[in-house]
Amino acid sequence: MTFARFRKNRGAMVGVAIVALLLGFALFGPWLVRHDPLASDFVHGATREGLPSPPSGRYLLGADRLFRDQLARLATGARVSLLIGLAATLIATALGTVVGVISGYYERRAVDTVLMRVVDVGLAFPFLLLVMAVGAALDRTTATTILVTLGLTGWLGTARVVRAKTIQIAHHDFVLAARALGRSTPGILWRHILPNVLGPVLVVGTVSVSQMILAESVLSYLGAGIAPPTPTWGHMLFEGQDYFGAAPWLVAAPAGAILLAVLGFNLVGEGLRDAIDPRQE
Amino acid sequence: MIKRALRRLGWSVFVVWATVTLAFFVNHSLPDDPARMVAGAQARPQDVERIRAQLGLDRPILVQYGSYLSRLVHTRWRGGGADAHATCGALGPLHVDLGKSYQKRQPVVTVLAERAPKTALLAFAAVALQVAFGMIAGVVAASRKRTWADTAAVGASLVGVSAPTFVTGVVLQYVLAHKLRLLPLDGYGTTLAEHLRCLVLPALTLGVFGAAYYTRLVRDEMLGQLDQDYVRTAYAKGLSRASVLVRHALRNALMPLMTAAALDLGTLLGGAIVTESIFRWPGLGALSIQALLDRDGPVIMGCVILTSTAVVLANVVVDLAYGALDPRVRDEGAADPT
Repeated sequence: MTFARFRKNRGAMVGVAIVALLLGFALFGPWLVRHDPLASDFVHGATREGLPSPPSGRYLLGADRLFRDQLARLATGARVSLLIGLAATLIATALGTVVGVISGYYERRAVDTVLMRVVDVGLAFPFLLLVMAVGAALDRTTATTILVTLGLTGWLGTARVVRAKTIQIAHHDFVLAARALGRSTPGILWRHILPNVLGPVLVVGTVSVSQMILAESVLSYLGAGIAPPTPTWGHMLFEGQDYFGAAPWLVAAPAGAILLAVLGFNLVGEGLRDAIDPRQE
Repeated sequence: MIKRALRRLGWSVFVVWATVTLAFFVNHSLPDDPARMVAGAQARPQDVERIRAQLGLDRPILVQYGSYLSRLVHTRWRGGGADAHATCGALGPLHVDLGKSYQKRQPVVTVLAERAPKTALLAFAAVALQVAFGMIAGVVAASRKRTWADTAAVGASLVGVSAPTFVTGVVLQYVLAHKLRLLPLDGYGTTLAEHLRCLVLPALTLGVFGAAYYTRLVRDEMLGQLDQDYVRTAYAKGLSRASVLVRHALRNALMPLMTAAALDLGTLLGGAIVTESIFRWPGLGALSIQALLDRDGPVIMGCVILTSTAVVLANVVVDLAYGALDPRVRDEGAADPT
């Protein structure tokens, strides 16, 4: 039923197509493109004036300012972006769900108060500053450090959503019945609460992938992301910006990729929300 | 009501304090030595030590924290030598002391006071833009549900919500400033007319995202309202379509819209880091990034305090306004700040 509603949602299907396309691009792209994303080609990658050469048969998306193949860099960047987006979401969603379920189940008790105060403080703290500070504390930023940092800082919103849903579920009679039958609290949380909050978790998680991809590209754009020469979409955009008069494709390609990725996951997330909670429409 | 307001205010003081504390220790744990950065890479070790002592960085961390907190907010009558109040900003008898910037050799309050109005200008312009645009597009979409106008508005808002500010910003900069030469590429200008011309692009950049979000918000809220009985009653009374839409449905959609606008304003008042960087807008966002790169601790702390205070205050204002406008929120059961 839920799945059928999801299938019928045209926006969601467009989103699924975009996400599938990006995953395919990330998996097979670097292998199909066959150019080295890190190698400069001073013969074909540069024009006679020494500027990056525009899109051509050899370099479909042109060359960047160090005369490297833009398409190969975009494909390698897709791996980085999607890996970080998915892995960071996994960490953040798991953390947020655990905190949210515990906090919601013990509503207004000490645990709840403490956890929610932590969330309040975390949300008031400037996010970028926090992530950049953690990034600066680790001497070399790699994909792993970025995804762990984003995962450990990105669970606050999820925890709030899950908490609200848990409070709703915990007031149902079947929870009371389970307790009356002698089921332990971990058992109730695992068997009764968790399955019922998975819907919202799925929705928040999907949208969170796009937020993580965005956060990673913002960090790269600001120079606090993965250290060069590893290509990332955000850093490619940052580098391309200085050349946008002479070589607009250097901005268009990474900008389009980021926009598409975020749009794709947002569409899927919205489709899931409408399918799981049809009252919205 | 007053009790509730006091409790919320007490709570926000706690959040700001916790944020300040967290920021202080995060700041301290950053690698690179601020004294070395002030002295320069070529400085002799004894000069670096001298500067460290000057900046007070040779004291134990807890002593530094204690002296920072005790100076942070104090009164005019606090003693301690001739230049005890040299770096203070005064609000009547109340003094706020954020120390002195390592790099700029100026009191942090002075630095912030110079930057804050520019960020505020940008924030208000962006929020005004997104409220106006979101409201109009939302009403049009809702009143023409399932027509091309609705589809276009929903589609555009989806793309707008998905476009990060640095993509929107760079695209707008390319088209409006570089290609069409309508507006300056970046900067702040020197005269009022120039300030306003420079304001357009960053405000638009921030506004696109918000406008897209508000369009959906207003549309969804209004569609929810249009099913209600009172709307049918209004039609039955013989009110015109426009009057029902604006006086009844839109009016009820205003509360969520104003909530979102107030919270966004709070966030933007702390400085839009990315947008200010793209357009070289000399506000708090650009300042905080620069301070972080320079390891200019007092300035970072000042920015964090300002940002978190703005966010927390916006939350409190929204909360209290809700309580004042909607009696259901006022009773204790629904008063939970989360």
